[in-house]
Amino acid sequence: MGISRELLEILACPKCKGEVVLRADGAAILCHACQLAYPIRDDIPVMLIDEAEKIGEE
Amino acid sequence: MGREFKDKVREQFGRTADDYVRNRGFAATDDLVATERLLQPSSEDILLDVACGGGHTALYFAPKVRSVVASDLTMQMLKKAQEFVSEEGKVENVTFREADAEDLPFPAGAFTLLTCRIAPHHFPDVPRALREFYRVLRRGGRMVVIDTLLPDDPEIANFYQTMEKMRDPTHVQAFTRQQWVAMTEQAGFIVQSTQQFPKTHDFQEWARRAGLNREGIQRLNHYFMQAPAKVHDFFQIETFAGEVESYTDTKLLIYATRPDKK
Repeated sequence: MGISRELLEILACPKCKGEVVLRADGAAILCHACQLAYPIRDDIPVMLIDEAEKIGEE
Repeated sequence: MGREFKDKVREQFGRTADDYVRNRGFAATDDLVATERLLQPSSEDILLDVACGGGHTALYFAPKVRSVVASDLTMQMLKKAQEFVSEEGKVENVTFREADAEDLPFPAGAFTLLTCRIAPHHFPDVPRALREFYRVLRRGGRMVVIDTLLPDDPEIANFYQTMEKMRDPTHVQAFTRQQWVAMTEQAGFIVQSTQQFPKTHDFQEWARRAGLNREGIQRLNHYFMQAPAKVHDFFQIETFAGEVESYTDTKLLIYATRPDKK
């Protein structure tokens, strides 16, 4: 089960509150402003600043 | 308080998630019925349930609104809630997000309704969480927050805080009605009304649900038994042969709205 476009619209980066996008492989949610990747585990986005990884290092 | 405390909350509720989900006391009760009456949910509404725990509130409202987003700090709790909702429900409009109530991952004005039930006493910074609730609610949005009420009498309040922390170290603080109203207004909300609901706890079941072992339960029992008479009266503590059987505390419901205009 993927993350639909409508659901992404009611999701934001918990840090900057800005727009997020789904990573091409569908396994993480990216905030380009903060350069953070939020993992998706068991179809549940983990939108915690502490759990996010720097884009490029994830 | 930062990451370390929040890890403790996750550990606590990860361990006890199943019992919370199965607990009938969190299912349809007076406070949920009152919440529905106040919020008047419709098929146009998008509801955020913050710190959803076992998913009882999300499941209750799912058939009455367009969609529900349920968030919690603890992944195990979300997984159990997800299982519970799919078993019980036949509802397909509930989605789950792991999120911190003090740093919500939603854009401003994303929701028309917000609920947060029997959870803020675990938040290190309630005013910050309330500012987040205000931000993610649309103008004119309606909110119900329910939490354990801190008694006004300082001695009774002190007993209450101590015994809650003995039971569950992730209990941070409960607040009085006056404190709740002030914090809610400071966040920008208009407090429309408050209500109170007594809740009776089976002592053994309540203590075990938090994951206390035998010694922990004995210590807590002793603390209850030693409490002054006015504490016993206030919490209607029922005992038999030196053992606490039940006690009754109060849940406070705060109904507030985000003003229509700036």
